Amino acid sequence: MAEHLIGPAAEFPPGTHRVVRVRSLEVGVFNVAGRYYALPNVCTHQFGPLCEGTVNGTTACDAATGWRFAWVREGEIVTCPWHGLEFDITTGRCLANPRVRLRSYPVTVEDGQVKLIL
Amino acid sequence: MTDQVAERRGTEKLLIVDADVHVSDTPAALAPYCALPWRKSLEALAQTPARYLDIPGFAPSLKLDPPIPGGHAGRSVRTAAEMRAGLDALDIAVGILFPDNLLLFAPIPQIEYATALAEAYNRWLVEEWLQTEPGLYGALLACPQNPEASAREIARYAGHEKIVAVYLPTAGVNPLWGARKYDPILAAAQAAGLPVALHSVTLVSPAFPCQLDQFENHFARQVLSHSFAMQANLVSLMHTGVPARYPELKIVFTEAGVAWVPYMMWRLDKYHQEYRRMVPFLEKRPSEYMKERMWFATQPVEEPDDPADLVATIGLYDGADRTIFASDWPHHDFDHPKAILKLPLGAETKRKIMGENALALFNIPAPDRESAVG
Ligand code: FES
Repeated sequence: MAEHLIGPAAEFPPGTHRVVRVRSLEVGVFNVAGRYYALPNVCTHQFGPLCEGTVNGTTACDAATGWRFAWVREGEIVTCPWHGLEFDITTGRCLANPRVRLRSYPVTVEDGQVKLIL
Repeated sequence: MTDQVAERRGTEKLLIVDADVHVSDTPAALAPYCALPWRKSLEALAQTPARYLDIPGFAPSLKLDPPIPGGHAGRSVRTAAEMRAGLDALDIAVGILFPDNLLLFAPIPQIEYATALAEAYNRWLVEEWLQTEPGLYGALLACPQNPEASAREIARYAGHEKIVAVYLPTAGVNPLWGARKYDPILAAAQAAGLPVALHSVTLVSPAFPCQLDQFENHFARQVLSHSFAMQANLVSLMHTGVPARYPELKIVFTEAGVAWVPYMMWRLDKYHQEYRRMVPFLEKRPSEYMKERMWFATQPVEEPDDPADLVATIGLYDGADRTIFASDWPHHDFDHPKAILKLPLGAETKRKIMGENALALFNIPAPDRESAVG
């Protein structure tokens, strides 16, 4: 386990994300509403650069929404740029198939610095 | 029957339930059961020579092909006793009855007439087919032309001990069965605890699968029509979230064999993961809904050179639990039970596919008499 400095938290505000390279590993680091998450930049589908995709919300439609389309979870979903698979940034799970889950890496903030632990 | 005969037939002492057999539903037979003024229409149709699956205003179809030179004759079953005898000869204990001509019910455009005709068929089915002979159960004819009336009809028969399914006429239905206009029918079937059974037939019509007229012969139309109809209706049901919106509804696909099932399962899953945002009501993968609440009837079962290939295919969709035997008796391409029994399947899987799955699905009490006994 080693810490890898990402940069000052002040320059990494909520709603942003970036892909960093540590040794041979590419990792997406996300700030979702003030909490940091890190996921591998490799999609479970066909190994596309998942974390280079857009971060936004998604649709829901169920009994709770009266079977009408709703927009939910703004800022919590990353969409792979290759074929559009959606992943929950906070859990690493694939929305279409929650049995598929990305590993996630811990991120800490110390002395105003964001650090990735690998 | 002696054990030796049963053995030669390959049916052994096994309970056989047949998810798809057909009754001969002519205009003359249905006329007395039909409300006026439409009874007059059926009485008039009864005066013209009935041609199987080709009766204007009753089984409307564009029949393009000449009779097959030297081809085998068609069969039809006109009474419950005849059906019982036919199924006995196949060692089938329980049969679920579907219509002949009213396989072409969906293209009938006159809404009031279609409503009356569906009600007549259902009355006739219960009165003439489900009263006397053991082991005969019926599928109610749903009326896509009039979903509200059809829902009331389903509610009327809910709880009838011999009505075990709702038949969704699939040939020529437009739009396909996932369209929201049919919600009342699906809701009524779910409320009645009745599975819905899609059943198609070969026809040339502007509805899906259309343009079958471009093929030179019936061989081609037959190959494509049932299987495309089942695939398209499965997609239709999925794309409006029917399995999610009706979480108790059981759905049966008939007369398209089974090998298309894994293909569609994988294809639906593949595009669900890409387009989930457009179908967010599907909270599970399409394949999961298929493996939980959809069943697939065997006939016309695929016949690969190596039967092990079919067994492997059945395994791909959890087929031991999802597959139900169907003969399609007495139609031209019916399958004898031996078509399944000869496959290298385990004994338990055979029991399930040949009878147990269907008994549970249709909530039919296990019959005393086992098919091959006596
Ligand atoms: S590689 Fe990510 S969606 Fe296909």
